[in-house]
Amino acid sequence: MFYLTRMLGKPVVDAAGDEIGTISDVAIATREVFPRVTSLAFLGPEKTPFMLSWRKFVAEIDDDRVTLNVTRDALRFSYLQPDEILLARDLLSQQIVDTQGMKVVRVNDLKLSESRNQLRLLGAEVGVRGILRGLSPALERGVQRIVRIFGSELTEDLIAWNYMDLLDRDLSHVQLSVTHKRLHELHPADIADVLEKLTPAQRAKVFEHLDNSQAAETISELEDEFQADVIDDLGSQRASDILEMMDPDDAADVIGDLPYDKAEALLRLMGMKESGAIRGLLGYREKTAGGIMTPEVTTISAEWTVQQVIEHLRGEAAENESIYYIYVTDDDDRLEGVISLRDLVVSEPGTLVADIVTKDVFTADVDDDQEDVAETMSKYDLLAMPVIDETGRLLGIVTVDDALAVLEEESAEDLQIATGQRAREGVSGIWRWVSRRGWLVVWSLLALVAAATIPEALIVLLAGTVVLRIAEDVASHALSRVIESEDEEDKMPLWRRITGDALAGTGLGLVVGLVTGAITWLFIGLTDWLQPGGESETLIRIEVTIVVGLVYALSVLLVSVAGTLVARIAEAAASRGRRVSGTAVTVTLMIVGALSFTGFAYMAFFAIRSITGS
Amino acid sequence: MTSKNTRRTRTGLFALLAVIGPGVIAASAGNDSGGISTYSVAGAKYGYTMLWMMLAMTPSFVIVQEMAGRMGAVTGKGFAALIRERFGVRPTFLAMLMLLASNAATTIAEFAGIAAAMQLFGVSKYISVPIAAIVVWLLVVRGSFRNVEKVLLALSSVFIAYVIAAFLAKPDWAVVATSAVVPKIVPTQAFIALAIGLTGTTIAPWMQFLVQSNIVDKGTTVKEWALARWDVIVGAIVANVIACFIIITTATVLHPAGVEITGAGEAARALAPLAGHYAETLFAIGLLSASVLAAAVLPLTASYAICEAFGWEAGLDRSWSEAPLFNGLYTFVILTGAAVILIPGLNLITIMLVSQVINGMLLPFLLIFMMIIINDRRIMGRYVNGRVGNTFAWTTIVVVITLTALLLGMTVLGIG
Repeated sequence: MFYLTRMLGKPVVDAAGDEIGTISDVAIATREVFPRVTSLAFLGPEKTPFMLSWRKFVAEIDDDRVTLNVTRDALRFSYLQPDEILLARDLLSQQIVDTQGMKVVRVNDLKLSESRNQLRLLGAEVGVRGILRGLSPALERGVQRIVRIFGSELTEDLIAWNYMDLLDRDLSHVQLSVTHKRLHELHPADIADVLEKLTPAQRAKVFEHLDNSQAAETISELEDEFQADVIDDLGSQRASDILEMMDPDDAADVIGDLPYDKAEALLRLMGMKESGAIRGLLGYREKTAGGIMTPEVTTISAEWTVQQVIEHLRGEAAENESIYYIYVTDDDDRLEGVISLRDLVVSEPGTLVADIVTKDVFTADVDDDQEDVAETMSKYDLLAMPVIDETGRLLGIVTVDDALAVLEEESAEDLQIATGQRAREGVSGIWRWVSRRGWLVVWSLLALVAAATIPEALIVLLAGTVVLRIAEDVASHALSRVIESEDEEDKMPLWRRITGDALAGTGLGLVVGLVTGAITWLFIGLTDWLQPGGESETLIRIEVTIVVGLVYALSVLLVSVAGTLVARIAEAAASRGRRVSGTAVTVTLMIVGALSFTGFAYMAFFAIRSITGS
Repeated sequence: MTSKNTRRTRTGLFALLAVIGPGVIAASAGNDSGGISTYSVAGAKYGYTMLWMMLAMTPSFVIVQEMAGRMGAVTGKGFAALIRERFGVRPTFLAMLMLLASNAATTIAEFAGIAAAMQLFGVSKYISVPIAAIVVWLLVVRGSFRNVEKVLLALSSVFIAYVIAAFLAKPDWAVVATSAVVPKIVPTQAFIALAIGLTGTTIAPWMQFLVQSNIVDKGTTVKEWALARWDVIVGAIVANVIACFIIITTATVLHPAGVEITGAGEAARALAPLAGHYAETLFAIGLLSASVLAAAVLPLTASYAICEAFGWEAGLDRSWSEAPLFNGLYTFVILTGAAVILIPGLNLITIMLVSQVINGMLLPFLLIFMMIIINDRRIMGRYVNGRVGNTFAWTTIVVVITLTALLLGMTVLGIG
């Protein structure tokens, strides 16, 4: 057995016994599963690099040196071939993808073995043992001995060459054996797992090797927080091509997480049909049937014959995500019934759809909780479930893969609740808002505690930032409205949603103000009880706190109203085909927030002063 | 149409705002408890004498931060990964040991900062530090850190108050200006140690790791770097300007009065011209949030860097069984930091100072790694260092090593 870390630096001796240099690297033939070492690289006098053929010139290798079969004068030097991989340069200490274990690892050492004068690479050592050996072989032996005392063994963690893919060196132009498994040959779900462990730059490199349909599937499989980042890093044209190939419901999820400007740009690059479908989906709330459904649904009329339906399936409906159920609708798109693929196949071609249709269909409303939908599907073993609006119009279907994802997600959440790991996202309304913006509440509390102890100027300084953050938030809400409402007229009116937000924000401001007021009262009340005499000041402080709460509430209300206006204006601009700058909207609202907060705060303190007469 | 739009959104002030972040955050995080205390002591003890050092150090700091960011943008890899790939296991082990030492020392200082701040509120360190350790650990583990980070950063920005306080204190600006440009050295051990600490807290080793990994995580490419570098540069300058004002304020308010800083209370008094009898509260809030922020950032930085160097599974979403070393490392650093502070009879200010001196002593060695990598054409291509960058960085390395040698020599020979 040889280890590369121990070979490097060992002398190279010619047939006459003269030392001509020290080993600096070895190259391998890439085609084999256990690749042969083909070349030896060494540093001659004055660090001059040389390379020679292993097969022609190496007579023997042992733990202390490499012995050549000719003298120095008879050596013929060679050059590194483009398809050769250098072990020390390309593998040692580098990150590689273990395509068998689906992990990203760093190579700590390379293990080679000799048989019939042929040195072969057994694999890359990626475990702790390689690190210890790299530090010092004595350390490796020492740790080994200690581990043995505890009845265990320091195992080697080896990865064979044909399960390695390199991240920094492109293997595309190198001949590999047919069994060699590279990253982009894995299942998209596995590629996604590996990608999540890479840096953005490395991810971008991997995406260069994926074709668009692979990329689309891989992105669908990524965790939510990576999806938007990955799309954001791709070029706009490619990103929109990939999004077009994804199922509209997955694409809508990704686009919903992108900054407004980018999302709008990508939607504009897409075909009308695809972008229309995605815009439609963006309007539905998350975690509802509408949020997880796909609009790609196969619909037919009851008067068709079975033969007609089958032709329809072969033709325009062939690309739909799911064709196990075919839905029968009337002229107004209202759902009348369903037939299954099985019904079709076993019926005579001339049979009318009306004769085999099942009128009793399990349906979900757009606003149904996604968990309920998934549970119904699992209970009745449905491969897809139609989603309808209040008038019975068929909007789309929830397919079984999305339902499974929901069940998985919800059970993970339930597990967290059971083990007390993480509180579930808020119940509804204001508490949902509070729990999602937990940090904001913490900030508000801190700022308000500060407000109770520090003079006025600082309160404005500290608390004003909160209003700015709220303004930013309102802006992003307003912007998402603009995206989704672009070609949808029949949604809930804009003003109603914004007033909803305003109420939630105002309520939060009040609650925060009052709670902190109470805390301050308890705190200062207690101190004063111990140290009597500061009563008048205490009174002011309590009022200050309450007033700050009110100022919050008012500013948030104003910002929300401004948000409605700005969204209206932006919408009008967008409908006339003008580009709306997301940054401009955000900055405008933040300025409104800052001005209104300062204004209200100023007025409030003025009022306090005149009331208390101080 | 597309290209036109892209160009429009990529230039101008908005584009600059869009990339602002990593540098400013890293640099502000640098004004942590160690920084505040070192600058305060420098001003209180030596008046304006050390101002020139801050001025002299600013270009070095800017250049080093820019180098770290550039390495991240060009290679897409963290500093630790580059060290490992360029130097192999043994030097990497040494570098990571130094990073861990620097980080652990600074984390101890952060907990000292938390203890000192809470003492100003009248809370004993035996109560505040264990609670802080749990809070910090939870912040990190639960991953809610990203959000809280903004809050803490905003709160720790109260140190901008020093800029106002400096003007309110009405220093003799002519003297300030002279001191800022005329080099002066006091040949005592204390002065030289403080000079090393000043360097260590300004150009803290862990900040280079942080800046680079922020750039890498943001996926900043070489093209975007042209713009993103301004964030790093501006951040570095802003941080140093604030540091200068801390020295000016303390030098004006505390030095003439002969106040020796032995606790956070004395340091807080420098803010009296601005905040009157609220100075302590103001100082305590700033110190507390800066310390909590850094106490969460530092152990994570070390943990990420070390795992990156050795190829261990890392990430806050990984469980203990998936990433035992990653989780173990930051937990270890947090616990050590808190445990040290619980030793009875420690002077918190001394701890903060000593940690920065350790940072200063380790700095040149990590900078040497950086210099070799950034001048390696195989890694950096045409983005290797220019002559100016090399000159400043090597000067910093030589000066700090000389100072360290001087300090050791003086200690052994008993001079000063």
